[in-house]
Amino acid sequence: MQIDTTAIVDMLRLAQSPREFLRFAKGNLELWANLLIIGWAVVFMVWQGTGFAISVGTVFAIWAILAVSLNLVVGFTGLLSVGHVGFFGLGAYTVAILTSDAAYEQLRTEAIPTFGLPFFAALPVAILFAGLVAVAVGIVFNRFRDDIFVLVSFGFAIIAFNVFLNLRSVTRGAFGIHEIARPEIGTWVFDGELEFLALVVAFLGLVVLISWFIVTSSFGRVLTAIREDEQATEVFGYQVTHFKLAIWVISAMMAGLAGGLFASWTTFIDPNSFILLESMLLVCIVILGGLATIWGSLLGAIVFVLLEEGMRFIPFLPAEYVGQARQVVLGILLVILMLFRPQGLVGRYKL
Amino acid sequence: MSLERLRFAWWSRLLPSGDGHGRLLATVLGAAVFAYIAWKIAQSPDQAVQFAFNGLSVGAVYALLAMGFTIVYSTVWFFDLYYGAAAAIGAYGVFYLRSQDGFGGQDYTNPYVTAMLAAVTAGVVAWALYETFFHRLRPRYGRRVLYAAGGLLAVGAGAYMGLVLSITDSTNVILSPAIGVLVALAAGWAIYRGSRLALPTFNAVPLLILAAIVGIALGGYCGFLIADTPGSKLYLSWGVSCLMAGIVGVGFYRGLYVYMREQARSPLIMLVATLGILLAITAATSIIFESNPRPLPEAFGSAPWTILGSNIKGFNIFAVGVALAGFVFLLFLLRMTSFGKAVRAIGDDEEVSKVVGINTTVIIAIVFFIGAIYAAMAGLLSGHDTAIQPRMGLLLLLKGWIASVVGGIGNLYGAIVGGFALGMVEQFGIWDLAGEWKDVISFMVLILFLSFWPKGLLPRE
Repeated sequence: MQIDTTAIVDMLRLAQSPREFLRFAKGNLELWANLLIIGWAVVFMVWQGTGFAISVGTVFAIWAILAVSLNLVVGFTGLLSVGHVGFFGLGAYTVAILTSDAAYEQLRTEAIPTFGLPFFAALPVAILFAGLVAVAVGIVFNRFRDDIFVLVSFGFAIIAFNVFLNLRSVTRGAFGIHEIARPEIGTWVFDGELEFLALVVAFLGLVVLISWFIVTSSFGRVLTAIREDEQATEVFGYQVTHFKLAIWVISAMMAGLAGGLFASWTTFIDPNSFILLESMLLVCIVILGGLATIWGSLLGAIVFVLLEEGMRFIPFLPAEYVGQARQVVLGILLVILMLFRPQGLVGRYKL
Repeated sequence: MSLERLRFAWWSRLLPSGDGHGRLLATVLGAAVFAYIAWKIAQSPDQAVQFAFNGLSVGAVYALLAMGFTIVYSTVWFFDLYYGAAAAIGAYGVFYLRSQDGFGGQDYTNPYVTAMLAAVTAGVVAWALYETFFHRLRPRYGRRVLYAAGGLLAVGAGAYMGLVLSITDSTNVILSPAIGVLVALAAGWAIYRGSRLALPTFNAVPLLILAAIVGIALGGYCGFLIADTPGSKLYLSWGVSCLMAGIVGVGFYRGLYVYMREQARSPLIMLVATLGILLAITAATSIIFESNPRPLPEAFGSAPWTILGSNIKGFNIFAVGVALAGFVFLLFLLRMTSFGKAVRAIGDDEEVSKVVGINTTVIIAIVFFIGAIYAAMAGLLSGHDTAIQPRMGLLLLLKGWIASVVGGIGNLYGAIVGGFALGMVEQFGIWDLAGEWKDVISFMVLILFLSFWPKGLLPRE
């Protein structure tokens, strides 16, 4: 693995003369997208202040973990999965059930088993559980490809949602699970927003690092080969099913991690956080940002979060419609992207 | 080592596929399902009849969805997710037009929505007129005359649609002239053609005059009848919302899919783009109508009938009838007409059919229109049966997919069989489980079918 130094040298050269920079920037949509989105983010943060930045940052980091992990499957391997929210929910529910406070549950008629584990003990269990389910699901799904894969992944998301909603003896159904523990190390509890943000960003960094290792390794190149031509890769002697299963499981484990963090951050989850729609929005983020680049997923997550926050300032839009309005905008963006730029803003792979 | 061996790792032999033990496992599974159902039927026949009735009424909706989906998919070969939005448009169109009859008496009409739909109507009508008449009339009339006439007609159609959508408490009065004209044209044409066929040697002019007189009389009578019956508003609104869904579908096809299909490398691009459309329409629906579930105003036949000791609503029997009628209509259209031939040709090879001289754009537009109408019909039937909510479109779409996979993608017989089979399996499946699990059951059915019978019950020939 090596770091590409020529790009850095190029950048330094460009920074020295504005004229050269302009020539470089002319017609370079990727650069403008980057500059625009980051500039937008910075302006927004400065305008709204630190508290806003912290709360938005946590949301961004969780979505970014999800987007990066989904990009491993969608962008790098070419399996368009719309069922990622299922693993997200599995992670969240595992952490919730393992850590939720026993005292609170006694107040309700429908009691669920409580374990009272600390967060950092529950999180590995959640990740492993998501991975285990992913192995089982992946073995079944491995035989499908292209649009049939999309169809069955829809199915997985709906089955997962129905399990969260209807398996009341474990998940308490529509009531949701309250009093999920915040992370703690010894006596230091991650109570504050800033501390939690630091934790989530640390995990995001870890996920990005792992994804980067995967993508730049020989394993990642095989994945790319599978995406480009599955049968040719088979002919070269690679066990395509193993590779696809492996990346599917890794991606699901990252989603489980994101779910665990999400549950601990909100301290309350119910099945409505894990509907199929969230998964479709996630696919929007990944495609919007760019397929087959990790940076693209981060960019997509920034856009996604900022769109919602930005829409709060539209004067005639009532607050309860902000999410819906964002969905309209994302849908239209998706159509425009598919029409003019099928690889997303900074993507490397066209669907 | 052959390719086949490379393809399957050791663990994937645990879930066998293909010809050998895959078929055996599939057979065992199928037999188990049948044995379970037979055992349940033997246990309590009365309840079995009830579940069968429920399965029929759900299956009718699925069959309609699957038929529309199949005809669209087997023509253009990509998953059109707008199809789900069409189901939601069908249901919400009825709600839009008739909300003041139902609960709360609140009128949901919205000038922006009306204007947008009217504009879409005008655009689609303009395109249709251009495609059908422009080149035929071009030799006789000037270009400007044709543009002006077509533009006027299109704007008129848009304005009329806008009028229908904005004045909702007298839909029947507003629609009666249009229906009168349509009936007059249809009756006149039928009489003229019939009499020409029966009396081929007779002079054509008196027959034409007779047909015109009878047609105008019939059309006028029908128009007056409808204008005089306020009870017909609900059923007219069915027609309007189906038409709306179809027109929006054609609008998307002509305005978007045509360009995308020219450059799209894979069906996934189309799928993602239509996913965007579905997301946008679903969200827009929940902004306009709020996202909580709502009932539609009461239709006929909501009182349950008792047959063989079990209850079924008259409305559900009507739904089954609609599904069967839709099936017969599509079968006639695809098997007996030149349009059907063209559709099948495009499904087999679009490029070649273009070369042969089929106007693929128009034919595919009509296919999208028909598909969207089927989806809208299914959406409003299920809306009358249970309730409507903005997210219903996606679930209905997925059920339509599943039904057509079960029946065999691309086969019309398969679509209706698959729809009713899925409805039955879903309803019999929740006999021992609770009713909430029915979506899980249908997706399990989907995964089993795709694993073991990827071609469905009745494969496309």
